[in-house]
Amino acid sequence: MTKARTFRGGTHPPGNKNLSSGQSIKRLPAPAIVRVPLCQHLGAPSKPSVSKGDKVIRGQEIGTQNGFISLPTHSPVNGTVKSIENFPMPHRRTGPAVFIETESEDGGQVFEKWDDYRKHSPAEIIERIKMAGVCGMGGASFPTYVKLSPPPDKNIDTLIINGVECEPYLTADHRLMLENPDDIILGMEILAYTLGVEKCLIGIEINKPDAIKIMEEKGCSVLPLKVSYPQGAEKQLIDAATGREVPVGGLPLDVGVVVQNVGTAAAVAKAIRDGEPSLRRIVTVTGRGVESPANYDVCVGTLFSNLIEESGGYAEDVKRLISGGPMMGISLYTDGVPVTKGTSGVLALTGAEVRDVTEGPCISCGKCMDACPLKLAPSMIATAAENEKWDLAREYGALNCMACGTCSYVCPAGRYLVHYIKRAQEAIRANRGKEA
Amino acid sequence: MAQTRRFELAMSPHVGSDQTTRKIMYDVVIALLPALAAATWFFGPRALLIVFISAAAAVLSEYLCLKFMKRPVSFALDGSAIVTGMLLAYNLPPGVPFWLPVIGTAFAIVVGKQAFGGLGHNIVNPALLGRAFLMASFPILMTAGWTAPEAWRSSTDDLWKTNGIALEELNSIPDADAISGATPLNILKQSFDLDSSAENAIREGDTAEAESLEGKAACIRSALSDDSTYMNLLIGRRGGCLGETSVILLLVGGIYLFLRGVLELRLPISYLGTVAVFAWVFGGSGWFNGDPIFHVLAGGVVLGGIFMVSDMVTTPVTPRGRIIFGIGAGLITMVIRRWGGYPEGCSYSILLMNLVTPLIDKYTLPKEFGEVKENG
Repeated sequence: MTKARTFRGGTHPPGNKNLSSGQSIKRLPAPAIVRVPLCQHLGAPSKPSVSKGDKVIRGQEIGTQNGFISLPTHSPVNGTVKSIENFPMPHRRTGPAVFIETESEDGGQVFEKWDDYRKHSPAEIIERIKMAGVCGMGGASFPTYVKLSPPPDKNIDTLIINGVECEPYLTADHRLMLENPDDIILGMEILAYTLGVEKCLIGIEINKPDAIKIMEEKGCSVLPLKVSYPQGAEKQLIDAATGREVPVGGLPLDVGVVVQNVGTAAAVAKAIRDGEPSLRRIVTVTGRGVESPANYDVCVGTLFSNLIEESGGYAEDVKRLISGGPMMGISLYTDGVPVTKGTSGVLALTGAEVRDVTEGPCISCGKCMDACPLKLAPSMIATAAENEKWDLAREYGALNCMACGTCSYVCPAGRYLVHYIKRAQEAIRANRGKEA
Repeated sequence: MAQTRRFELAMSPHVGSDQTTRKIMYDVVIALLPALAAATWFFGPRALLIVFISAAAAVLSEYLCLKFMKRPVSFALDGSAIVTGMLLAYNLPPGVPFWLPVIGTAFAIVVGKQAFGGLGHNIVNPALLGRAFLMASFPILMTAGWTAPEAWRSSTDDLWKTNGIALEELNSIPDADAISGATPLNILKQSFDLDSSAENAIREGDTAEAESLEGKAACIRSALSDDSTYMNLLIGRRGGCLGETSVILLLVGGIYLFLRGVLELRLPISYLGTVAVFAWVFGGSGWFNGDPIFHVLAGGVVLGGIFMVSDMVTTPVTPRGRIIFGIGAGLITMVIRRWGGYPEGCSYSILLMNLVTPLIDKYTLPKEFGEVKENG
């Protein structure tokens, strides 16, 4: 194994992954009613293409793509459309969802199976990935086909598959690498073929030696990475893998790299080999606030409450419910929200697990600056934001913050740095809108 | 189905490191304790009492301020006031009367800290501001209260009385033991005074007098660079402010802070490094023949370097800014020591640099990830 690499900065939150890392993925049947969000990806929600009372089959398109950064949505079950309504969402307040009464869960192959992807042109494959509704499964849910269509002047030479899973607690990607490495590898080959790149790496943190071993045995070129948060952030992963810095405001394409999550690679494999759209995903249900942490393979549109029930319900002292990981996840007021393609984890944390400090004044310790993986000045942006000096916040780099939460994590004063920085981002963008 | 359970809503991240401001402040208090032991050993129980009075007065001042401003009074025990009180006491001569630290800390906390908005908002180091206030208001008490180390053991005086010794007693050419009596930097200053008297004598044509004066100065300096002087400075057997004497025990505190992730090394290293280099280049009677070891060990630069140059609130946050701060403070310290009116310049150098800290931060922001550099 080559020497583990990493990026500059970052922090080391306790992993807590052993709560669920030993649990094999359990496939759950679809619930009686699935509530399929039409806005599971970044960008514009899809337009509903079915109406109340329609019979749908598994894999059928129920929402059409609505713009460039948008994707179609598919039914994960055979059944009847009950209604289309606004519903609470894990990643935003509410959004349109198609409610489908489940009858059965067989079938699902709606596209032609392509046994040998090499017989098809990259353009055909990209079209298929788009029509199958594949988006980034790591959390940001960016439509995958867009990432695969670089402008002609960008020369892409490296594909990195992201198996880092640097968020504490989450083990979905880890289990997927252990249990379904073949899909990941096929997906990776398809993506490399589509992009026309030779160099193809899979980045894994060294806290998952079993996953590294399996991927290496399968002939993958594994990039072992030191355990450091946020190692799995695109820019930090590229830095560790290639030494290239994605320019400020730029994309990985600008340094000739495309990064795709392991779950995305597996979804691509399904879309091409099996002709099946993106209907399910692996979700880690964990935290000490839930009785038995586990990893599930579930339909999108399954409620969080179903998953919690499957895991034996809440522990007595549960305090916070989170969609995603503890560093970037969104805290929810209800478990009545559906799983989307971007839901990597459902986290129920107890009072002992969440940070409980009263926010104090900044003591200028500079720990946030040392830890910020983007080398911003979080404390200075936050102070500017508190005083509503938006220009100053912008000067300090507020707009380039990716809200990874490293600064807040290390802050001894317990300042809500991410909150202030996000507030600055919103204000700067709103002001810019006014100027234009 | 959706349960009626209520969940707490909060911004990410939902977990955090277990370091807190309070823990950092109490780590500093702990790191200051070895030097307190040295102060008690060399200057007697009254040293312990002065530090205690100073810290208690600081907490009381903080409490009254918070009460008056209707802020949570629990902040008074967050450790920062104790640190300020201890540091101020560490910067006092051992022979000061007991009411002096009370006035000093009250000024430090009320004017230096709370008037600016309390913890995190003060512009200059409150302990050093308190010391500067005392220097300006009670110059005699602040410069005459020196005590010979361990003298309290053999002294028949009432231990609780102000018991400074006059510097004039040391005007004869000192040996290593006598050097330890007054502060070593005072004696060094005297050697430079002898140098300038010698220059005057040359101008007046009195070569013999000039030679004698120069010889005296050289003799003093060679005694200061003696191995036994170094040893005394290291273990703390010397005159000086309460907390600055034992370099070794101050370093023990510094190492503790470093291991606890509280001490940022750029500041003390750039500060002490600058002091050493400057001492070597300009510290002697000619060029490049100064004594860097003496300059680093003597006076308060080790105390200042570990506990005041590295004070988080009043020093830069940027990595480059911290190095600039350390170099700037080191230069000012040495300019005062070599050519200024005071034997020691540590505290004024830090106060002056505190004032430019926001400016340093503004111009030393690190380059953002991906800025300028393109395509690796």
